[in-house]
Amino acid sequence: MTTTFETMKRIIVKDYELEPERLTPETPLADVELDSLAITELIFALEDEFKVVAKTNGQGMQTLGDIAAYIDQLIAERDTPAARTGS
Amino acid sequence: MKRVAVTGMGVVAPCGNSPDEFFANLVAGRSGIGVLPQVSPRLTTRIAAAASFDPSTHFPAPRLRMLDRVSQLALVATKQALQNAALELSDDERATTGVFLGTGMGGASTTDDGYSTLYQESSDRIKPYTVLMAMNNAAASWIGIEHRLSGPNLTFSTACSSSAVAVGEAWLRIRSGAAPVMLAGGAEAPLTLGTLKAWEALKTLATEDTRDPAASCKPFSLDRSGLVLGEGAAVLVLEEWERAMRRGATVYGEIAGYGLSTDGAHITRPTVDGQARAMQLALDSAAVPADAIAYINAHGTATLQNDAVETAAIRRVFGTHADRVPVSSSKSMHGHLLGAAGAVELVATLLAARSGTIPPTLNLRIPDPECDLDYVPNVARREQDIELAMTNSFAFGGTNAVLICRRA
Repeated sequence: MTTTFETMKRIIVKDYELEPERLTPETPLADVELDSLAITELIFALEDEFKVVAKTNGQGMQTLGDIAAYIDQLIAERDTPAARTGS
Repeated sequence: MKRVAVTGMGVVAPCGNSPDEFFANLVAGRSGIGVLPQVSPRLTTRIAAAASFDPSTHFPAPRLRMLDRVSQLALVATKQALQNAALELSDDERATTGVFLGTGMGGASTTDDGYSTLYQESSDRIKPYTVLMAMNNAAASWIGIEHRLSGPNLTFSTACSSSAVAVGEAWLRIRSGAAPVMLAGGAEAPLTLGTLKAWEALKTLATEDTRDPAASCKPFSLDRSGLVLGEGAAVLVLEEWERAMRRGATVYGEIAGYGLSTDGAHITRPTVDGQARAMQLALDSAAVPADAIAYINAHGTATLQNDAVETAAIRRVFGTHADRVPVSSSKSMHGHLLGAAGAVELVATLLAARSGTIPPTLNLRIPDPECDLDYVPNVARREQDIELAMTNSFAFGGTNAVLICRRA
């Protein structure tokens, strides 16, 4: 989570030029200037960064931490053989 | 009928990133055409007229993610034009001030990128902003949003006459009293692999001059071989004359006439009839005789068809005056900006009248018997008395738009 969040924070700071101090896992998405399209884009970037495939475009996520947790979940699934075969 | 003053101009184009720099380079005969910095091995064409434009110096990264290059060019030209006009609009005026912009290809690079993702990478991850960046009205919309202009916001797409139509229609709007101020112009950013390939397929692009690639566009010359694509934008502040006078605005010229016609004949092949009719309508609307025109900025694309047909159309409208009136094609230097061409060339025409200097038709070395006017070959002509000038814009699809301007 920590590593994922820090990586995500780096991407947000670079692509959206938000101040790093505003970005914590508890930060509500509504409080930073990231609309639903930007969140979709952010998830694309995270997919590339972590070599995972997201099944959502961020709907229902409330905080930056939610996104990081979701990516962590995808990483775990990717690294679990059972999840990969779908059985 | 109200009179219409041009009180602000902005240009981002090959040959210059301000009206003055752009015009000075035209007068000096310095071509903005060159070998593309990133040439794809899949392109036969290596030449184009690129604007010297680094968007990152104008927009923060988050903004750039939402703006196709065509909108970036349009926004920067608009900012220049508004600063240049030193315009202050009341809230009431903002509600009627509109934006009329022309573009032929819209957000071409965004469309290209989307197809590349979809077909080349076989990915379904199309950028979420794709529609908003690629739609033809994006540039005009952003101008309206950025400057809080809530009058009519229209995008004209009539290929290579798009921005001449946009200016002409804006002119009509002020003339009729419907708006005190309008922003009008055009933008085009077609230098993408997909767009260049499509134009290549149409067999209208110039063959590269191997001795001097910058000299590849040769309007009215017997050895002309086609047009050179260019990118850029020009935006003009059009203002009701009395309003401009009251606030002591600098007036760069007056838009005095506008003629619009359609060939209704062929999708690419121009007609003398259609072009001549647009020129005559422009003269009629300005209420001036043909022999009052002291300079014509030609459409002059350097295609075999256009230059001969345009010459014949000028002869038909101007009669014996056709032998006296200087005609030049600045496209020989800035290339063909498609939907932005009309506006960019209007700026050149206004500055020609204002300065009394006619930019040359560069690379005109071999006379063509079918092109037998005075094309101001290769060297600018100075100390001309140009009270009235005309600028022609014709197009695939057959929409012909002609503007007449009067020196202020």
